[in-house]
Amino acid sequence: MRLARRSLLAGGAGLLALPRFAVAQADQRPSITIAVQKVTNSNTLEVLREQSNVGERVFFTSLWEGLIGRNWQGALENVPMLATEWRRIDDRTVELKLRQGVKFHNGDEMTADDVVFTFGRERMFGDAQGAPMGRTLFTTETMPGRGGKELPPEVPAVAMRIWPALERVEAVDRHTVRFVNRTPDVTMEGRLSRYGSEIISRRGFSEAATWLDWARRPVTTSPYRVAEFRPDVSLTLEAHDEYWGGRPPIRQIRFVEVPEVASRINGLLSGEYQFACDLPPDQIPGIERNRAFEVQGGTILNHRLTVFDKNHPQLRDARVRRAFTHAIDRKAIVDSLWAGRTVVPKGLQWDYYGDMLIGDWSVPRFDPAEARRLLREANYRGEPIPYRLLNNYYTNQTPTAQVLVEMWRQVGLNVQIEMKENWSQIFDRNSPRAVRDWSNSAPFNDPVSSLVNQHGPNGQQQQVGEWTNEEFNRLSIELETSTDHARRRAAFARMLVIAEREDPAYTVLHQNATFTAKRKDIRWKAAPAFAMDFRGHNWGA
Amino acid sequence: MLRFIATRFARALVTIVMVVTFAFVVLRLSGDPALLIMSVDAPPEAIAAFRQAWGLDEPLWQQYLKYFGAIVQGDLGRSMRDGRDAIVLVTERIPATLALTLPALAIKLGIGIPAGVYAALHRNSLTDRLVMTTAVLGFTVPSFVLGLLLVLVFAVQLGWLPSGGQGTWRHAILPVITLGVGGAAVLARFTRSAMLEVLGQPYIRTASAKGVPWRLVVRGHALPNAAIPTVTIVGFMVGSLIAGAVVVESVFSWPGVGRLLVVAVANRDLAVVQCILLLVAATMVTSNLVVDLLYGALDPRLRQMRAGGAH
Repeated sequence: MRLARRSLLAGGAGLLALPRFAVAQADQRPSITIAVQKVTNSNTLEVLREQSNVGERVFFTSLWEGLIGRNWQGALENVPMLATEWRRIDDRTVELKLRQGVKFHNGDEMTADDVVFTFGRERMFGDAQGAPMGRTLFTTETMPGRGGKELPPEVPAVAMRIWPALERVEAVDRHTVRFVNRTPDVTMEGRLSRYGSEIISRRGFSEAATWLDWARRPVTTSPYRVAEFRPDVSLTLEAHDEYWGGRPPIRQIRFVEVPEVASRINGLLSGEYQFACDLPPDQIPGIERNRAFEVQGGTILNHRLTVFDKNHPQLRDARVRRAFTHAIDRKAIVDSLWAGRTVVPKGLQWDYYGDMLIGDWSVPRFDPAEARRLLREANYRGEPIPYRLLNNYYTNQTPTAQVLVEMWRQVGLNVQIEMKENWSQIFDRNSPRAVRDWSNSAPFNDPVSSLVNQHGPNGQQQQVGEWTNEEFNRLSIELETSTDHARRRAAFARMLVIAEREDPAYTVLHQNATFTAKRKDIRWKAAPAFAMDFRGHNWGA
Repeated sequence: MLRFIATRFARALVTIVMVVTFAFVVLRLSGDPALLIMSVDAPPEAIAAFRQAWGLDEPLWQQYLKYFGAIVQGDLGRSMRDGRDAIVLVTERIPATLALTLPALAIKLGIGIPAGVYAALHRNSLTDRLVMTTAVLGFTVPSFVLGLLLVLVFAVQLGWLPSGGQGTWRHAILPVITLGVGGAAVLARFTRSAMLEVLGQPYIRTASAKGVPWRLVVRGHALPNAAIPTVTIVGFMVGSLIAGAVVVESVFSWPGVGRLLVVAVANRDLAVVQCILLLVAATMVTSNLVVDLLYGALDPRLRQMRAGGAH
């Protein structure tokens, strides 16, 4: 890369000439600015590349839509979206009728051809032989997916995780598609509703010069389209007036990155931002003292966990790990650090699992006497147990850790915090690991999406070598492949017993929550998720 | 003179190589870019694919040799997060940073030096004490505190200025003041000390005793001699023009090199971090070289020493 004098001069001239909204005289719809800590982590807007909570916020429901959607203002249950109806052909095939008259941002009508392309090799799964590998960041050679249309290697890897056994997608007619799995799978509808299964325009993808160009301006069916994306700075969306769900109520939505909490709040109070996101609970009373503002939000599809490495000498005995779980007064944490604005869930499951929810399950009860008894039985004598901790990667993480260590100390556990800077240091095997923090989400309404994906044989906890359990792994396979509802439910119940009681892999602390402050006179409701819904039914209603 | 410049240039190269090597080793040993960029919840297969694609699975020494070889050929690498050339990402941000640091430098020079000179010439007066008290306050209040305070007053309470972001020239006012105040305070303190030292020298007394007007004594004898330590400090300030606004850019959400550096370090986006470090090192080295040359211009004795060797 050579620096041209002209480009430098142009840059200099633009020092203070900064983006401003064009004023469309006839368009009376409002424009809003939303201050967030981060717009995206990957600097792209591609759902298969940006798998994060912050991505969920800007993607749903503004920028991406799937065949099956979620009721974001309700209980997050599946609802028709780009497909109006669906049915099972057999235990490996789902047929969906596409909504007619749906227009992409480029004006094309969505057809079965776009759906087939979306789930094809070119856009999702890549070349079976794999993209060119082994290149380094230090060469001028074109990286896979960066200079041309090749997918970055992580995209097919994520796609394979979302659809591990998808055999093919067929266009039955212009408005009917069939998803055929290689193996029986009762979660196909859930997978269709999950983050990563959204539909793109075939022409939009084909016309982009490079994968990166496309990933920064994806052409979808959503109510808003990308007007400008400045990675690490801002994302501006504009109304897509041909949206199938009606004319969007907002002319422009601008997400701006404001890393400091105080700056987000100050910008909200001074009127520059209409919304300020990612607020810690201790800031809520301060904002709400001003009667013009309110804080919305609450629990999301994500639980905070304490995770164990059962290979640590002190944690090999399950009784010590069980003592950890009984020593925690979860309600005290929720009340003191979250001002009671979140809840202690029924273990690693969510209400929207529906009939797969094990309703009578609960986290281990707070019972210090039981914890002490277990430690006595395990012959634990106060040997130090390291607790690797990141500095507030999760909201309230450090104060929660300090409270936990004190609770554990009360029952005789000698847990020592080791501050770490990043996840590599958390997982480092060069010194003994024992306890760490984590959070788990459920991308779709079935336990496969969380318990199996995170803690099963291919899940992170087993992949990094912290924990494994033979029976749990057998049941994971059954949960993934069985079509017998009763057997699946029984397997899930047993897996909870193993991972949360008998041989603890983790213990759930509380459900996570996210808080958004806004002006009170804006009539808008936060979803029980990171997603922010700016469609007509949730604006000014 | 040529020999002097060549020596300084060689020393600068060694410094840059050391900076680059140190940063490479520290960044690579303290975090895995794949895990940081892909996020901890990414599927293990995706993380492995990312590592392989970017050569992060190779031995560290091999990565270093490739990296160093590429730098020598003028290739500063690509951002692992962004996919574009690191130099493009960094140069894109330089105008935004200079939009803050150059006006801030003008404030530092325009307020700091006159205030320091004035305080020295009126030593122990009420004005001197006022200037110095303000200066102490200026450089003891951390920039993030000052920044938030200014936002609270001028954006939240009075509503006169934007609280952050980069939109119009008004957006730059608070960050520029925040950056400028601390530096002006430092310069005022240094200038005052240097002036006081010079004003106590026998040649100042001699000039005064010869009947030279005080104004001319200050202008002709005191200011040039007091300029040397001040120029050194100004040299540092010029050297930090590129990445000297990390905190202020974060507080005011200003998309400059400082914020890019913070994000790149957090993600171990090595090529970008290294590119910024190289630019900073180059700016600092150039600035020091200019300062050295200025010493000669300001003090004829130094010029003669370089020309004829030390006596």
